Amino acid sequence: MKRIMAFVLSLTLLAGTAFGANLPKLRVGYVPEPAHGLYFVAKEKGYFKEEGVDVDLFQFGSAAEGLAALKAEKLDVGTFGTTAPLLFISRGSEFTFIGGMMIGGQAIITRPERLAELSGKNLKVYKGKKIGLVKLSTGDVIFKGALKKAGIDYKKDISFVEFGTVAAVVEAVKKGAVDAGLVYPPHFSLAEKNYGLKVAHYIEEFYPDYTCCRIVAHTKEVNAHPETYRKFLAALIKAYKFYKTNPDETVKIYTRALKIDEDIIRNETYVKRVAESNPDPLRKGILDFWKHIQEAGYITQDYPIDRHINTDIYKQALDSVIKREPKDKIYQQMLTFYRKQN
Amino acid sequence: MTAAGMNILLGVILLLLNLTAAADASSQSSPLRLGYLEHPGSALCLAAGSKGFFRAEGVRVRLVRFHDTERGLAALAAGGIDAGAFAVGETLRQIAEGKELRIIAGGGTARGADPLADLDEAATLEQESGGIVVAVAAPPRAPGKEVLVRLVTALIRAYQSLQKEPGGIGHGAVHFDPNPDYRRIERLWRFHDLQGEKRPRDFLANHVYEEIYCDALDRLMDRTGTKDGVLQKLFSEAVCVPDCCPPVAKKRDKNKGGSR
Repeated sequence: MKRIMAFVLSLTLLAGTAFGANLPKLRVGYVPEPAHGLYFVAKEKGYFKEEGVDVDLFQFGSAAEGLAALKAEKLDVGTFGTTAPLLFISRGSEFTFIGGMMIGGQAIITRPERLAELSGKNLKVYKGKKIGLVKLSTGDVIFKGALKKAGIDYKKDISFVEFGTVAAVVEAVKKGAVDAGLVYPPHFSLAEKNYGLKVAHYIEEFYPDYTCCRIVAHTKEVNAHPETYRKFLAALIKAYKFYKTNPDETVKIYTRALKIDEDIIRNETYVKRVAESNPDPLRKGILDFWKHIQEAGYITQDYPIDRHINTDIYKQALDSVIKREPKDKIYQQMLTFYRKQN
Repeated sequence: MTAAGMNILLGVILLLLNLTAAADASSQSSPLRLGYLEHPGSALCLAAGSKGFFRAEGVRVRLVRFHDTERGLAALAAGGIDAGAFAVGETLRQIAEGKELRIIAGGGTARGADPLADLDEAATLEQESGGIVVAVAAPPRAPGKEVLVRLVTALIRAYQSLQKEPGGIGHGAVHFDPNPDYRRIERLWRFHDLQGEKRPRDFLANHVYEEIYCDALDRLMDRTGTKDGVLQKLFSEAVCVPDCCPPVAKKRDKNKGGSR
């Protein structure tokens, strides 16, 4: 009996290996942020293989390193913010946005004694204030975009102090060197937990559904193998449903993958909902971001960025998943969201 | 500025800086040979040597003087030197001709030679073309990334030092900037009509290695924060991709370079 079991197991392993070996492979780069967790869910739950794509995940410590690897064709896909890929594209890199990974997520922190002064629903509370930020971060670009939308001339009315790291921003807020600081997850949770700082606002309050962290790939590969990328995105769409319907297991998957405090992940992901992991490409959001990054003076030349956004593959992936489960409410919500945002 | 004036200025700079490239006992098997042009815009290289910034950053450098950019770039192509501070216009022309060069830092641009330069963009760009950039050969012939980051860190420190000397050469007829500044280089590239129709759109970007400058600046910002006004100004002007990520997950070793 044991021999028969061993034989069956060997056959199963061989079949599994052959099955994996025949699938198209994608090397996917990411940075370790909690809201990038759909990759871990899709991997751990087997959605990539179910959809017919074999994915290897590679973690990077910075967007620049990740995009350099993508440019050097050591990666096929990457999620490295929004600013960084736009900068690379503006300098000639042939990348295409095919999806997203994170919406929102930036917060403004301050010292507890300054909280009352900065409360309220109007961005005018920041006029005349000194605000620390990480230059070229999503928060930098989007907060300036929100100020402009609110009719505030940020170049005149607000003093920005640029720092190289988010840790330096937190330190400046802590010491009172700035009135407030723009930070991203999980730094505001860490700042609250470790230093007693307070979140004055989430930028989402002033700028709903703004884009963060997009999925980019080589334009020529996307055009040559659209089906592979469709399968990849279909797996992420299924991971999104899992994340929306299985909070406890999702938190455990994120925690295992990122090795960040489980309470912080649960709090940011499901209690405060500071960011949403969502694979939608958010075409309109990318175009808005491009406009804001130009207004901030970081990219000076004009360029038809829309030609680097491909929403068709995501739509095909969503359609393929909906075809299998046409009555699923989550997928229907994703379709409604897609129609609004693209 | 006339050629004679430039020579006098260069002579004064050399005198002031007491040109002695420093050696130290770092791990390099042989000193990095840094070519420089007889041009006041090379002063950051000279200052970094004479003021000990190369040594302080742990990179051994031997300075090699050149009379013109063509010979300097030829030496770089032939492996006679490892890096060189030469005229940006000629460097870009050679890149367009297919020379495997990478620009890693800026230098200085003599201003005032053309009285029309302030009024005429073409004259400004022509003048800018004579300014200095630091270039290296493309990998694998280029020195390692860590050595380059240290080299550029020393150049930034030289810039800080010159800016902090009231009435010194940092405040004269030469505009210094250690930033390779892709946007400025791209303007020059277009001004000289070097892109052509068949070249890939990212051709120039592939020859400007701005990440080295960003890493060097990041390293210095980590040391001083926002306390140094000169450094803060350089940081504000640079376009560097920011770091992301929770600190617990960062792989980057700040002592060994990394990027933003």
